[in-house]
Amino acid sequence: MPNCNCEKPLVPCTVEVIDIVDETPDIKSFYVKNENGVPFDIKPGQCAMVSHIPVGEGMFSCTWQEENEYLQFAIKRTGLLTDELHTIEVGQKLGVRGPYGNGFPVDECKGQDMLFIAGGIGLAPLRSFIKYCFKHREDYGKIQILYGSRSSADLCFKEELFDLWPKIKDTEVFVTIDNAEEGWDGHVGFVPSYLEEINPNPAGKIAVTCGPPIMIKFVIKALEKMGYSDEQVITTLEMRMKCGIGKCGRCNIGSEFICLDGPVFNLAQLKKLPPEW
Amino acid sequence: MKILKKNQIEEALNRMADQAEVFVPLQRETQTGFYPWKSYDNTTDTLVLDELNVSLPPKQVVFPQTDKMYSFKQNGVEIDIDKIYEAIEPQVVFGIRACDLQGIACLDLVFLTKGYEDNFYKARRDNLTIVAQACYKPGKACFCSSMGVDPVHPQADVIISDLGDEGYAWEDKTEKGQALTEKIANLLEEKEAKLPEPQDFTLKVEYDGVAEKLKEMFEHPIWEQLSEPCQTCGICTYLCPTCHCFDIQVKTWGDEGYRFRCYDSCMYEEYTREAGGGNPRGKVSERFRNRFLHKLEFFQERYGTPLCTGCGRCIIACPTGISIIKLIEKVKEADTGA
Amino acid sequence: MKAIENKIKEIAARLLQSGEVNIFLAWEKGDYEYQSKPYFARSVDEVDKIVFDQYCIHNLSNSLLKFRDSSDKIGLVVKGCDSRGIVRLLQDNQIERSRLYIVGVACPGMKDPLLAMKNNSGLFKPETEPEVAAKCQTCRYPNPVIYDELLGDEQTPRPQDTRYAQVDAIEQMTADERYKFFEDTLSKCIRCYACRQACVACNCRLCIFDEMRPQWVGRETSLSDNMMYHLVRASHMAGRCIECGECERVCPVNIPLMLINRKLIKDVDKFFGPYDAGIKYEEGSKPPLSLYQENDPDNFI
Repeated sequence: MPNCNCEKPLVPCTVEVIDIVDETPDIKSFYVKNENGVPFDIKPGQCAMVSHIPVGEGMFSCTWQEENEYLQFAIKRTGLLTDELHTIEVGQKLGVRGPYGNGFPVDECKGQDMLFIAGGIGLAPLRSFIKYCFKHREDYGKIQILYGSRSSADLCFKEELFDLWPKIKDTEVFVTIDNAEEGWDGHVGFVPSYLEEINPNPAGKIAVTCGPPIMIKFVIKALEKMGYSDEQVITTLEMRMKCGIGKCGRCNIGSEFICLDGPVFNLAQLKKLPPEW
Repeated sequence: MKILKKNQIEEALNRMADQAEVFVPLQRETQTGFYPWKSYDNTTDTLVLDELNVSLPPKQVVFPQTDKMYSFKQNGVEIDIDKIYEAIEPQVVFGIRACDLQGIACLDLVFLTKGYEDNFYKARRDNLTIVAQACYKPGKACFCSSMGVDPVHPQADVIISDLGDEGYAWEDKTEKGQALTEKIANLLEEKEAKLPEPQDFTLKVEYDGVAEKLKEMFEHPIWEQLSEPCQTCGICTYLCPTCHCFDIQVKTWGDEGYRFRCYDSCMYEEYTREAGGGNPRGKVSERFRNRFLHKLEFFQERYGTPLCTGCGRCIIACPTGISIIKLIEKVKEADTGA
Repeated sequence: MKAIENKIKEIAARLLQSGEVNIFLAWEKGDYEYQSKPYFARSVDEVDKIVFDQYCIHNLSNSLLKFRDSSDKIGLVVKGCDSRGIVRLLQDNQIERSRLYIVGVACPGMKDPLLAMKNNSGLFKPETEPEVAAKCQTCRYPNPVIYDELLGDEQTPRPQDTRYAQVDAIEQMTADERYKFFEDTLSKCIRCYACRQACVACNCRLCIFDEMRPQWVGRETSLSDNMMYHLVRASHMAGRCIECGECERVCPVNIPLMLINRKLIKDVDKFFGPYDAGIKYEEGSKPPLSLYQENDPDNFI
């Protein structure tokens, strides 16, 4: 399947919303496809510009591509565009263009144990890598998933978190929420401190993390303290984007553009760039 | 060499404008810039080919301030992108200087390389013929030679050189240039003439090593100091021949509308402000630092050439007198503790 | 002027030394003899670079906005128009009077370094440099209206016969002629927002033109968006503009912004006045359009 509109990279193609699922009070999953199936193939970690065409565009990581069935985007309601997107109904048409970005190094990580650390909506980009690992389970070693959110209502992909993923071979799922609440008997505490409690062994392991910038920074500190090398730590970053193709100048960290050279960076690459994210 | 007499310039431009939009340097009332020759009005306009350069840079010829991209129509749940606006009309830019031409070369690197080719830019760029004027007398704020630009040999389809009363020497360099030569063939005289002696620059700066040094200076206090007077007014970004940051916005009435792109400025506060409220460059010093690092370090690293072409416009127009030359000098003197 | 310059340096050194201020705003020389530029001195050693000459035209009260959220104590030099800018900021509750030490200088009129730079740039056909900058030619308040210390001999306001000349000329035009005039003028605007940034009265934290929810005025440089921008900005200036003229001075495409502002100044003066913005600071005082009064004109209702 060719990439959507590579000759006219700023012009979207249209897709239909075939399903919308409420993940949390402010996060919805949108399932889109066009009459031929998916408008383009998208690798784990890559993103697409999703637009409600009369309103605006935003860069969202694709949380999963199901073969030729659909692309799934998990979108949190935060501002002008996402507010409008949350009023979209099944059957409506949206614009998408992509895929953009470098994606996760799924091949280079084969044979390794995987440690996924996510906070809030940060689970959405990591989920594409997590599900890829589960789809090719034999290619990866032990899988550990640590996920935290503000409250239990804010945990997204609950069915996978609690019912599906823990049942998969050699897989551990750790969930935490920031503050204690009635009816929750799971772990309470922030993701970086829970990570230090679990203290996963760095040997033969790749750590992949995403969440609010402040969480990423603390997680990286914790991982370094536990002995993870710079090449063992991968993150996916985000900044305000407009063109998505490395031309409008906005999403740069130093001389790299998050939309084009990222959004996935390992810690060794990040340390070479200015600390401006 | 071929000579075009100055009293034949208007006829030459008329002929070129027959099948293309020709942009010429004009003083229109109190403002100077590149305007379409077809819009020339002798009550307000003067052709200023003999002036050093113009205030508004000619980048808008390939990268306009407001650039309509595509229009759409909604019909219930359906939405249709019904027209994509790609410029197909041939254009000629006449009398562009080497600094501005290097600006367009930088824009070529941005829009046509590294992964994607911007089709809107490409359409304009492919249909553009460039007639550049060689510079022999640098101005007080000119420093293009310090930034690696050769003012006397711009990379154009045609180079014209002002020989004074003799007229302009006309030298075509490419097929597109030859096509223009043919259009005005009988206006050109074959004659012996001597090109002027290029004069020296009064403003020079040593750019060598600056990009490497800046790599060590991200957290240096120099940025707080130098950015203090900056009003983040954006004038520098609008007059700069290489600045290209753009925004993409939409105009909608009822069921239809169009998406367009327009100039934006990295100096504005909301440039990197995220929907959730976070802003990696919320402080003036952070935006200021990003702009100058982009010009002098990041672009050099990414594309192999600085993003400043030494035209001097920002030095002339900054309301608080901030000068990129002064900044480079301070960077060179700065103690990085390395 | 040299005497005033020396006095300013003395004051700055005294204030910085004693810690009465930690920043002193004045001017320093640029790279050309016709260029002076804003300067922020933070210690006694930095006082030496301060100058006060005929190119010190910048309105330093605008720079106070950089410090509105800090706790710095700031000393600054202001001329007549600039001091009205300080009153503007005090009335708009943007900064506290107690943080400021105001050195007022009675102003004989300044020359515009931007014009001098343009004339020497080779980018424009040189214009004759007037005796004083355009914005100074109809100056009504050359003497500072608020200060802690006053320097220089009292200056006489300039003759006012040309102040509304251009406004009157436009008012005499027919509607079509007027529209054509503004169409020609405002289509030049490149929407760089320099006028807004240079303006001391433009001190909203989230400017209406940056608001996206909703977006009041589009970012295209179409005639309609440009007109909307200028009309809205001028309306927000009505009753607040201190006539410092910085907006017009910094505009890179020479839009006659003071013409538009003066029309509104004339109207506010006529309908809600007599009123001059920013000439006297009284606690709680408000510009006329921020205040409802029973006798406000209502014959349009």
